[in-house]
Amino acid sequence: MSEEQIFEQVVKILTPYVKDEKALASISGETNILEDLKVNSARLVDVVLAFEDEFDIEIADEDVDSVNTVGDCVSLIARTKG
Amino acid sequence: MSVRIALWLQRTLSRLISPLWIPLCVLVMTYIFRWKIEGVKSSRAEYSRLRKASVPVLICANHLTKLDSALIGWALGGMTFYLRDFGAVAWNLPAREHFAYSWWARIAVYLLKCIPIDRGGSRKGIAQVLSKLTWLMNRGEAGLVFPEGGRSRTGRVDVQSAAYGVGRIVRALPGCRVLCVYIRGRSQDSWSDLPKRGESFFVAVRSFEPKSDKGGLRASVDIAEQVMMHLSEMESRYFDDHA
Repeated sequence: MSEEQIFEQVVKILTPYVKDEKALASISGETNILEDLKVNSARLVDVVLAFEDEFDIEIADEDVDSVNTVGDCVSLIARTKG
Repeated sequence: MSVRIALWLQRTLSRLISPLWIPLCVLVMTYIFRWKIEGVKSSRAEYSRLRKASVPVLICANHLTKLDSALIGWALGGMTFYLRDFGAVAWNLPAREHFAYSWWARIAVYLLKCIPIDRGGSRKGIAQVLSKLTWLMNRGEAGLVFPEGGRSRTGRVDVQSAAYGVGRIVRALPGCRVLCVYIRGRSQDSWSDLPKRGESFFVAVRSFEPKSDKGGLRASVDIAEQVMMHLSEMESRYFDDHA
């Protein structure tokens, strides 16, 4: 699976949690999930679990800590998938 | 200064003045607020039993007022108990926004074994706070967290709002026991800053050793949900018995 495909899926998964529609419209790898997309930090766990289900991977607690941007999500998923 | 030295310094300072602040807290709750807690005998017996077992103990409680930590501490032990076993005074993780407004409030929470947490902050920042608590608990200190993440706006335990950090702490501490504490003022319908003066509190405790057959983040979420289910059951029993 290419990183572009992962990116598309990540955006699809994030969309229901996004509170800033404008930021969603201009989303990129540098977009910050909490600050730009205004995703509730308490919901980040749900987002990560959705990544696990969608990509059939298991993400460690510690890896979640380093996820700040959409690009971080894509890198983490690509790395975990191998 | 390394984080660990800073934490141990905080603990030491708190311990040094504990013969002053522990009795003061109890006196304020007893004579100024005139609070009473029913059921302390069994809750204190259970906590004492866990402390004697020398296992990590994470206290998880429902959350309705800003002084719940003090009430829970009082429900789980008396002055002498805490002065003899200072590690039993649980470390708290209060939201920084509640006390950052004044220097005296910041000093007070420092000396009362609190580690501030930025609610809604970065995962890395929250992970650092959880890591500090885990490190302390690995050294015989008790910890107290409110799994709902904040005071319940409905006045009832919200099982959907479990903060997975609870599960993360438990998984990092082999043999960790969770002591669920349900505490409620008899006239407390919903959340508030303080319980009313003269309030009488009900307290119930239940301990268990959480386990999960899931892995990774799901295991932490699973454990957090187990804790919330216990608290929710304890609350249901309270309302069934006291309707």
